Amino acid sequence: MSPTHMTSEREQATDARPADLEQGRGQASAAFGDPGNGGYGHRDEHGDGPVGNGLAVSLNDIRFSYDHGETWVLEGIDLDIREGERICLVGPNGSGKSTLARLIAGLTAPDGGSVTLLGEPVFEDGTPHSDRFRRARKGIGAVFQNPTDQIITTVVGDDVAFGPENLALTPDRITRRVDASLNAVDMGGYLEADPSRMSGGQQQRIAIAGILAMSPRMIVLDEPTAMLDTQSQRHVLSVLDALQRQGVTIVHVTHRPEELTRADRILSVEGGRLVELSATQAALRLAVTNANDTGTLRPDGVIINAGNGDTAPSASSPSLSRKPSERPDDDPAVLFDHVSFRYPKADADTLHDFSMRIERGEVVAIMGRNGTGKSTLTRLMTALSKPGAGRLEVAGIDLGGGKKHAKQRKKALRSAVGLVMQQPERQLFAETVRQDVAYGPSNQGLTQQQVDERVERALELMGIADLADRSPFSLSGGQQRLAAIAGTIACDPSILILDEPTAGLDAAASERIYALVRTLNAQGVTIVMVTHSLRQARQLADRVITLDGDAAAAHGHGDASPQPATAIPSSSPSSPHGGKRTKCKDAEERQARPSGPGAKTSHHRQPLVQRLDPRVKLVVFLVLMFTSFMVGSVPQLLLTLAMVVAMAAAARLSPRNLWHSLRGFVALLLVMGVVNMLFVRSGRPLLTIAGLPVTTDGVMAAILYTGRFGLVIVLGIILLQTTTPTALTDGFGSLLSPLRRLGLHTQELALVMSLALRFLPTLAGEARDVVDAQSARGGSIETGTPARRIHALAAIVVPIFAGALRHSDNLSLALDARCYEEGIHRTHWHAMHVARRDLVFIALCAIYLAVLLTMKAIPALPRL
Amino acid sequence: MSDISHTQIPTDPSRRDKTQSSHSTGVADKGRWSTQRIAVYALFVALAMAASFIEFPIMPGTPWLKYDLSGIICLVAGFAFGPMAAFIVSVLSWIPHLFMNPWGAIMSIAVSVFLSVPAALVYKRIRTRMGALAGILVGVVFGLVAAIGGNLLITPIYAHMTTAQVMAMVVPILLPFNLIKFAIHGVVTFIIYKPISNLLNRSL
Repeated sequence: MSPTHMTSEREQATDARPADLEQGRGQASAAFGDPGNGGYGHRDEHGDGPVGNGLAVSLNDIRFSYDHGETWVLEGIDLDIREGERICLVGPNGSGKSTLARLIAGLTAPDGGSVTLLGEPVFEDGTPHSDRFRRARKGIGAVFQNPTDQIITTVVGDDVAFGPENLALTPDRITRRVDASLNAVDMGGYLEADPSRMSGGQQQRIAIAGILAMSPRMIVLDEPTAMLDTQSQRHVLSVLDALQRQGVTIVHVTHRPEELTRADRILSVEGGRLVELSATQAALRLAVTNANDTGTLRPDGVIINAGNGDTAPSASSPSLSRKPSERPDDDPAVLFDHVSFRYPKADADTLHDFSMRIERGEVVAIMGRNGTGKSTLTRLMTALSKPGAGRLEVAGIDLGGGKKHAKQRKKALRSAVGLVMQQPERQLFAETVRQDVAYGPSNQGLTQQQVDERVERALELMGIADLADRSPFSLSGGQQRLAAIAGTIACDPSILILDEPTAGLDAAASERIYALVRTLNAQGVTIVMVTHSLRQARQLADRVITLDGDAAAAHGHGDASPQPATAIPSSSPSSPHGGKRTKCKDAEERQARPSGPGAKTSHHRQPLVQRLDPRVKLVVFLVLMFTSFMVGSVPQLLLTLAMVVAMAAAARLSPRNLWHSLRGFVALLLVMGVVNMLFVRSGRPLLTIAGLPVTTDGVMAAILYTGRFGLVIVLGIILLQTTTPTALTDGFGSLLSPLRRLGLHTQELALVMSLALRFLPTLAGEARDVVDAQSARGGSIETGTPARRIHALAAIVVPIFAGALRHSDNLSLALDARCYEEGIHRTHWHAMHVARRDLVFIALCAIYLAVLLTMKAIPALPRL
Repeated sequence: MSDISHTQIPTDPSRRDKTQSSHSTGVADKGRWSTQRIAVYALFVALAMAASFIEFPIMPGTPWLKYDLSGIICLVAGFAFGPMAAFIVSVLSWIPHLFMNPWGAIMSIAVSVFLSVPAALVYKRIRTRMGALAGILVGVVFGLVAAIGGNLLITPIYAHMTTAQVMAMVVPILLPFNLIKFAIHGVVTFIIYKPISNLLNRSL
């Protein structure tokens, strides 16, 4: 960019070593260990090693309270972490380990004590030193539990580049950092993919790449694998191992005993203090204890592969064991008979010709990697989705059939089947736990007394009776989960479906859920449980059903690490199945070819419109769109049509593609046409519709007004399809930037816009989940008294707002971790400059406008 | 408009404003936008954007007049985070529509701003249930003016009508539509704000 950056040319050679890039997988080294790497702004000022004593972290008598000193989460913590050490932090939910991790990452300040991070005394004598915090943060990376909230834009490369941009690196160096860190997490081929359509595991790797691209000396991870399947967990751990080898300090908060093995030290946060544990002590503490091993540990479940394309399970396994008490001819709890299902826009079935049978009183575990259709199964069983083909019966109710009695059947199903979705705590809404739990039963039309009894029993069963009158939002994560499950239990289902009920829970809370499954099953409740933990499946289930599509191929890992310990046979390598959440196929299609350091090279192959400066494009398109409304005659309409067609051709957009985007507007355009046609009374009458005359002028008005509005919409589609959201918001920010002098926060507004676009699909998906979950509890806005409807609406709207606020809390931490601050000097990976092609583009559009205006000005031409 | 957006930044230290926590590292100080402020605005804009795409007609015979829930989000944003938040959420959430229906988007922005910013200004001064109610009513009056004024200007662009013809539609069509729309906005906002404010005030 500017001449002052010339000195960094030499460093770039070491910044990304080609050898490392090509080795790919597990080689995190490319992003690191480059001495003289100017990634940390402070290094030049402070010499290479600001840490004289070899300590990465030094905490002294740290005290931390969330309620102004009434209770202390951390009470006198002393901790020194050496550079290059790998520390695991453990402890129950709510013990303060996340708080401690944030302190170590420099994202929050304590109430008392002193904090030194990477040699910077950031907090002393009750005073935070913001400049030192700022410097320390540049060397510290932080990765959090929820991958979604750390992804800040809709293009992988742009997301990873965000941190380096905040460190004001040159575009060339950013390109190298982005490529190297994506390769380090084995996502090298996904530069242009959309991370919001990826699986949690892939998203978490992108989030880690975003941190690696900033070349941190210390990385703090807060339960980074809590939401991942076994395979993704291994990917993340192998990245950590590589970092450890390179001497990066690692602080890793975890619940999972298997993640402790490589730790130099294991520290447990207990009662606000730190206790060092040996590996064996820690493993014991983290394992879910078995209260009475002999009685409850079931013989190993028979693992049957009910994968796609397979025939009925009974055929695949002769050893299919049923409990002796069950007669096969009994009405089963769940019956899938050659069921197929496909999400509306998917190009392959998520479930294909799938058959399974679950007997009443069974406990069945459903396993399989992310994206194999496990959650789809739960949706089908609860009538939230309808099967495309095949027969599906749940609790004796046919869910495949036509519309006849559909409402009654759905109602019967709702009272028979309980669904606990993933992270059900996201559906909490009421003012007290008691009211929340009562929502389901009171929708079933029970008396107040019956409802109260149900609520008491459910709370008792979950062991949270003492929390009944607290606000659900004041509870810890584990308690929230239990309260949300109580809300389903209170509906008294005879079939209970649990989707990863213990994900992210500590041993104590998981144990509650284990006990619940056993208790309910002993009462005769059929239990279907989706899980990633084979141990959990073995401990609780009579049977394990494994769904395994061709997920490995869909994830782009032909060389993937071996299957989860079980070596479950995988089904025939048929077509890959992109699930609703994963949509890996989409991702693969988008990033046409995972070839090398792409950004630059692919840039030149792009069509003209794609290569325009986004600012020029934004302004010109808006001018074209607004002026299109001036079109007032057929020749003018034809001129504008020619311009739009030329534009689409220059953008090389296929007509099919355009039509696909335009489809949603057709109804609106038709309405406009009809309204115009019927409002105009002048001209020769042609015919009469419903008493209103249609005239020649009316038809002309319909054509003109509909035509020009249609063309405006097509212009908008061309703009949006040829410009990435990042480019749009960068351009938007840049165009607004003169207003900064007036005190407008232009850079921030552009970021707000970009983040909003990023979170739009996330929130929409969550909103759908909330609607589904509440309707599974019998809530309905469409029916009932106004009071009940408003209650149902609140049960949907409140969790949606709660979700938005939760995302915003996490997101702000993620922005901090990537060193974003208002007013910092940032660079832009895609530097914007007006080139000759932009001037030509402007000139061509100006000519078009001139012609249009001339046509309007010449009265001789026929006008309407 | 820029007046509204600036004066609020440093002078809005209410406890509902989640921009500074007691454990601040001091990195975002002196009236600069903290990452919390950016994040919370972004999520509210995303919510309002999502809501703005879910439109449906509420009056028979006028299928082009559609109701959408985004105004509720703008009102809640204004109550929770102040008039500037209402303004930003109102404007940014309609920007995507600028590329589909430019004039319509401008009109929607105007209506949204006129509804939510006055409501937030009133509630900022009177932080009670009555204040919220008064705010909504004031907002509805401004919103009605903006909606009808906007329709007079914009309808002739989309339909072959004169302003006088649109004028004739005000009492039978535009006024009732907007009254129904704002009534739903107001009632829903009034009901959901209590539980939402509990969420905002919980210790973070």
